[in-house]
Amino acid sequence: MQTRMYRSFQGLLLLGLCIFFASKAANGQLTWYINSRFIPLTIFGVIFLAVLAQIIFTEIRRSRKHDEEHGHEHDHDHAPAPMNLWIMLVPLLIGVLIPARPLDSSAFATKGFNTNSPLVSADSSAQIFETESEERNVLDWLKLFSYESDAAQFNGETASVIGFVYFDETLGKNQFFVSRFVVSCCAADGFAIAMPVEWAEAATLEQDSWVLVKGSIKSVTLNDKVAPMIVAESVQPVSVPEQPYLFP
Amino acid sequence: MQTSTTPKRLPRNLILFIALGILAIVASSMIPAGFFTWLWDRLNVFATVFLGIFVEAVPYLLLGTLASGLVEIFLDRDQMSRWVSGRPIAAAVTGAFMGMVFPVCECGVVPLTRRLFHKGLPLSAGISFLLAAPVLNPIVILSTAAAFGWGPMLFWRIGLSLLIAIVTGIIFSFEKEAGNVLRPALTMSIEHDHAHDEPNASFSEKIRNALLITADEFFEMGRYLVLGSVLAAALQTFISQSVLLAIGSGPLLSVLVMLGLAILLSICSTVDAFVALGFVGTFSFGSVLSFLVFGPMVDIKSVLMYSQVFKRRSVFYIVAIPFMMSLLSGLIFNYFSP
Repeated sequence: MQTRMYRSFQGLLLLGLCIFFASKAANGQLTWYINSRFIPLTIFGVIFLAVLAQIIFTEIRRSRKHDEEHGHEHDHDHAPAPMNLWIMLVPLLIGVLIPARPLDSSAFATKGFNTNSPLVSADSSAQIFETESEERNVLDWLKLFSYESDAAQFNGETASVIGFVYFDETLGKNQFFVSRFVVSCCAADGFAIAMPVEWAEAATLEQDSWVLVKGSIKSVTLNDKVAPMIVAESVQPVSVPEQPYLFP
Repeated sequence: MQTSTTPKRLPRNLILFIALGILAIVASSMIPAGFFTWLWDRLNVFATVFLGIFVEAVPYLLLGTLASGLVEIFLDRDQMSRWVSGRPIAAAVTGAFMGMVFPVCECGVVPLTRRLFHKGLPLSAGISFLLAAPVLNPIVILSTAAAFGWGPMLFWRIGLSLLIAIVTGIIFSFEKEAGNVLRPALTMSIEHDHAHDEPNASFSEKIRNALLITADEFFEMGRYLVLGSVLAAALQTFISQSVLLAIGSGPLLSVLVMLGLAILLSICSTVDAFVALGFVGTFSFGSVLSFLVFGPMVDIKSVLMYSQVFKRRSVFYIVAIPFMMSLLSGLIFNYFSP
C-alpha cells in the first residue's frame, strides 16, 4: 500500500473514532460502557483524535505539494502494515452495526448476580444511614444489610428503588428481583446485584423491563444470608435511567 | 482437455451444493427455537463488554503513544545513557522507579518502553520499567488508596510490584544480546521519512513530527488492544465467572483463580483496585493482593502488545516470571497471615 493511501485511511479512521466517541458522549450512552467518572478522559480522547486526524490530513496535503514541486524522485514508499487499519475498523463496525444496549439479565448467565453486597469497602455504613430510606438505591440497601449485624432494625422502612426486572426460579410465584449492574471501571467489570420483591401482580411484568418499586423492607434469608426484600405497594414501569449502572 | 473436464466437474459441484443446502436446512431445523435469541443476547453482551474495555483504554493508549512520540523527538541517546546506568542491577532499579517520571498504565507503557529501547535503554531497565510502571503511578496509587486505604494492601502492592519488576529485569540482564530478546523490527526505525533528526527543525515542526509518530503508533499498538479486547470480551461472554469463583477456595486454588481473573478481565490498572474490592469478601488477602500485583503486568491485551516488542520466548518469560512470583507471594500470605 502506498504511504499516501495508508495515510488517507488512517486519517479517516481517526476521524471515525473521534466522531463515534463524540456521538456516544453526546447521546449519553458513554455510561452504558464506562463509569461516569472516566467521561472527561473520553472527552480528552475525542479532542486528541481530532488533532491527530488533522495532523494526518495536513501531512497528506504537504506530501502531495512536495511531489508536485519535486516530482516522485524518492521511491521509498514503505507504509506500515495495512492490517493495522483493518483491525482498527473492528471497534467502529461493532459500535455501529450492533445496536447499543446496556448490560441486562442476559449477562447473568456468565456474570451471575449477587443478593448481598460484595463490596466490603473501608467506608462505613454511616453515610448510607444518613440518607433517607427512600433515597437509597439497590446497592445502598445491600451494603446496609452486609454491614449491619442486626438487619431486623430496617424492617418496615420505606424503600423506593429503580432497577430492571429479573425472574429467577429460586423465587416464589409473586416474586421477582429488581436488579442493577454495578460498574467500577467499564462494562467488563460489571456485576449484577438484586433485591427480591414481593408483589401480587408480579406475573404481569416483563423480564428486563425497568421499574420503580415502592414498598417496605422486610429482612429475609436468601442463599443462607440475610437479604432485604421489598414488599411492594406499587411497581411502576419507568424508562431506562440515564445512567443504567450504579457506580460505587 | 479442459473442455472435457469442465462438464464433468460442474455437476459434481452442483451435487455438493445441493447436499450442503439440504444439510443446512436439516441442521437449522434441529437448532432449538431459542438459539437465535440466545445468540443475539450473547452478541449484545459481547459488544457492550468489548466497547467498555475499548472506550476505557483508548485515552490511556493515546497518552502512552504521545509520551512515546515526545520521547522520540526530544530525548536523545546521550541523555539516556547519562541517566540510566549500564550496570544491570542499578539499571533494573532505575527502570522500576522510572514509572514515577512517566505516569502511564499498562496500555501506554508498551509503546513507551519500545521507544525507550529504541533510544538505547538497557534491557534490564526496560523490562523492570514495563512491569513496574503500571503500578508505580500516581493515579494507580491514589485509586488503590481510595479503595483499600493507606494500609498493608497498598504497601504490599507497591513493594511486591517493585520486587517482581526488578528481579525480572535482573534475570533479563543475563542476556547480553538485546537482539535475542527484542523483535528485529525494533532495531530498525519504524517510522519513515519524518526528518525528525533535523537539528534545526522548529519547535512546532518537532511537535508535528511527534504527533505523526503518535498517530502511527496508536494504530500499531491499537491493533493489539482491539484483538485483546475482542478475546477478553468473548471469554467473558461465554465463560461463566461464577464457575471460576466457585472453584476459588483453598490457599492455592484461590490465588490461581485470582490470577486467572486478572488475565481474563483485562481491566486497566488505574481502576483495578475498585474491582479487587469486590473480591475481598470471598477471597483472602493474599489472593486479592496477587490479583493487584499480577493484573497490571499481564493480561490478554498487554500480552498481545508485548508480542509486538519482544520475541516469543521473551514474552513467555515476561509472563511466567511475574506469574510464578505472584503465585508464590499469594501463597506465602495465605499461609502466614490470617
